[in-house]
Amino acid sequence: MNAPSAPAIATPDRTDRIVRHAAVDRAIHWLTAACVLTLLATAFLPILGLEFAWVTVHWVTGWVMIAIVLVHIVRALFWQDLRAVWIGGRDVRDALAIVRSTLRLGGGAPAKPGKYSFAQKLIHAAFTLVILVAIGTGALIMVKIDTPWWDRNPYWLGDATWGVVYVLHDLAALSLVTMVMTHIYFAIRPEKRLFTRSMILGWITREEYREQHDPNRWQVDP
Amino acid sequence: MSRDVYGREVLQGMSWDLLGVFFGLGVALIVVHALYRWLAAPDRRAK
Repeated sequence: MNAPSAPAIATPDRTDRIVRHAAVDRAIHWLTAACVLTLLATAFLPILGLEFAWVTVHWVTGWVMIAIVLVHIVRALFWQDLRAVWIGGRDVRDALAIVRSTLRLGGGAPAKPGKYSFAQKLIHAAFTLVILVAIGTGALIMVKIDTPWWDRNPYWLGDATWGVVYVLHDLAALSLVTMVMTHIYFAIRPEKRLFTRSMILGWITREEYREQHDPNRWQVDP
Repeated sequence: MSRDVYGREVLQGMSWDLLGVFFGLGVALIVVHALYRWLAAPDRRAK
């Protein structure tokens, strides 16, 4: 079956490339992806009938994930521009323009975004919320298992409080199933592959930059 | 939900029966978007 073709990109000259994601950020993204997939597999495969010793892999991966998220937060706060991913009033206006365009209500084509589109900011905010809930509640649940550093203490919280912790952890995990599916779907769509390539190789071309982004909202080195 | 030693209802977590619901929701979102792009989306690249 032939999929709609993505724009063919011959390997461009280095001067024609614009760095969209630095190597460290790409590493953070792919390590996070590996952790999320490992955590989902160790959580849900035993429920689906594939039984194996999942607990140790799950909590060790959880700690790796917490470390990666902390690195990402520090990097976002001190080395990156938080405003690039922040959802502001202009993004809401962009979203309304996209809705009008989608429903053919007029108003012209939506404005070009800065570094990230409204949809990309929205999925980033959703992943931020869900992953923080998952690792926050996961860290609490680790109190209930034996590790090299502490013995389990199932009575650290009351039954009702543990119930809330488990509901939030489970809800985050279930939400991640839907979110990861849609995230991968959009990553492999032909018109979005330049963003996936930039998350693998780091760059987009100057032509893609002019086509996809408003240079006033995402200023890059000439 | 389950009951503790005093017979009170205690929250246990989400039902794993919902796994199929969240998976199905993901499939539905993908299919609806793919159909929309294929059949009805305006060509945003049109000049």
